[in-house]
Amino acid sequence: MSKVLMNKVPVDNTAELNIDITVNYRHFDLAIKQKLPLTGITGIFGHSGSGKSTLLRVIAGLEASVQGEIALNEQCLINSSKSISVKPEDRQVGLVFQNSRLFPHLTVLENLNFAVKRCKHSRLTLDEVIELTELSLLLTQQTNELSGGQQQRVALARAILAEPRLLLLDEPLSALDQHSKTQLLKMMLNIQKKLNLPMLYVSHSLDELQQVCDNLLVLSQGKVVNFGNIHQAIHQLNSYDDSAIIHQQTSLSLTIKQMDNGHGLTSLAVGDGQEIYLATDIYFQQSSPLRCFILASDISICLTEPTNSSIVNHLFGTISQITHQTSNVLVTVNCGSQQFFVTISAFSQQKLALSKAQDVFLQFKASAVRTFIH
Amino acid sequence: MNPDWQALITTLEMATLTTIILLIIGTPLAWYLAKMTNRFKVIIEAIVALPLVLPPTVLGFYLLIAFSPEHLPGQLWQQATGQQLAFSFSAIVIGSVLYSLPFVVQPLQKAFEQLGDSLLEAGALLGAGPVDRFFSIVLPLTKASFITAASLGFAHTVGEFGVILMIGGNIPGETRVLSIALFDHVEAFDYAKAHLLSISLLIGSMVLLAAIYWLNLPKRNNTKNVSRSIKLQDHTNHE
Repeated sequence: MSKVLMNKVPVDNTAELNIDITVNYRHFDLAIKQKLPLTGITGIFGHSGSGKSTLLRVIAGLEASVQGEIALNEQCLINSSKSISVKPEDRQVGLVFQNSRLFPHLTVLENLNFAVKRCKHSRLTLDEVIELTELSLLLTQQTNELSGGQQQRVALARAILAEPRLLLLDEPLSALDQHSKTQLLKMMLNIQKKLNLPMLYVSHSLDELQQVCDNLLVLSQGKVVNFGNIHQAIHQLNSYDDSAIIHQQTSLSLTIKQMDNGHGLTSLAVGDGQEIYLATDIYFQQSSPLRCFILASDISICLTEPTNSSIVNHLFGTISQITHQTSNVLVTVNCGSQQFFVTISAFSQQKLALSKAQDVFLQFKASAVRTFIH
Repeated sequence: MNPDWQALITTLEMATLTTIILLIIGTPLAWYLAKMTNRFKVIIEAIVALPLVLPPTVLGFYLLIAFSPEHLPGQLWQQATGQQLAFSFSAIVIGSVLYSLPFVVQPLQKAFEQLGDSLLEAGALLGAGPVDRFFSIVLPLTKASFITAASLGFAHTVGEFGVILMIGGNIPGETRVLSIALFDHVEAFDYAKAHLLSISLLIGSMVLLAAIYWLNLPKRNNTKNVSRSIKLQDHTNHE
């Protein structure tokens, strides 16, 4: 089915969202100037009050009094100096809200048909989308009979059926349990790939963003702090010594070297010939790189290779940076081209007499390599 | 024809026409009041609610002056239609529209406020324009309030006396409505006819109100779902 869908939707590699706007509220200003290449899923990260939801509402056309310009694939959505503001119903931008906002007077199928009836293209059929979002058994249900996860699947399906050029997701998982979160994230990834539909995904959970995003936009107090490749952007966030902002971590996309070594462990290639192990999951696919992260607090440093240990992962590397933080020390270690981030106590740092350019071994358990979508 | 039957027909004509006009005027007015945030909202709300507290004779007195050929509204009417406005069927319809306005606008405004913007935003992003959103989202979800508004507007118009007496007088087949006919019977000490009219109006109003409450009753097989949806919403709000 994926091939059929791929042929139907033209692949546009030049897709780009050009934002240059300011919005002034009584207690809060949003000022964003950023070009976003629309490939895959772009994450928008920030804490409450950082303006990430407001930015989505501005792009969707739901906020009044926006100054500046937004262009989607060179087509103007807002241009305040020319007094242009395309109405939300004409923007072909979809939005999945935190609370699904399904129409309570309609069944699941009628909610989906609401979008189908008003869609000006017909690249997608209702059946294709129902299959992608696994809704076939729920179609006749009333929306208030659905669980939170089911409601969000209907909301996602409904948004896709309007065939938007850009899909915005505003914390769609925040009210769901872990199982539903994983299921929906997988679904989003699958839909993104099959339909080649660019998505902007707002979340305050870096774990979720790390698993699915290609790029990350970091906002703070209504301004852009950083934009770039997901792993680089997360590694730059490591410089914030504040666990309220980030759990310092190493973010990785690694190819699978050996699917299962017979002991339930799968090995991933780190790049310079070294490998790391993690517990095999039946959903692992050899064909695509695996997204995973290792918390800096889960890695330890040894001066000699720890061969007599139950801990399976040890990597050889060179210290590139040592940063003293309020309660501990952040050590950056390069293993080939891959950076690893490690936090150790100031006591250990002194005891081992660690210094820049020193060769060390990193040690961490297979269970410290975290991933929840495969 | 029996004059009381004629009064009934006049009353029903007046109340039906008034209700239709009230829905046409009251719906957009209630909508803008529900969406307004500036200070004019309070002033317009007060004007709409005025008939609730004002003695009907006060409203009737000012309308009588305005409708007379010596004043501009009456003059314009006379130029446009060639007929005098005061003491006409049109006059009592206009009077009723003003007098029953809060009974239509207030339930609708409350319903629109409760509905909020969230579903309308969702509709817009699925490609529905404003008119489409009104008929596909607002109307089905506020149906009960429309029924209430129309019924209250209708019933209140049927029961009106003071305004009509001031601006309509007592012209059979034109402005003589049931409440006026009743007053006539009492003045003429014809208590038998007065009783008959009174009991008919009482039962008629009772039946109408019971019908509204019955229509607005939650459907029995849905009550479970309603309580469940409220729980679910609570859950999401906490998060």
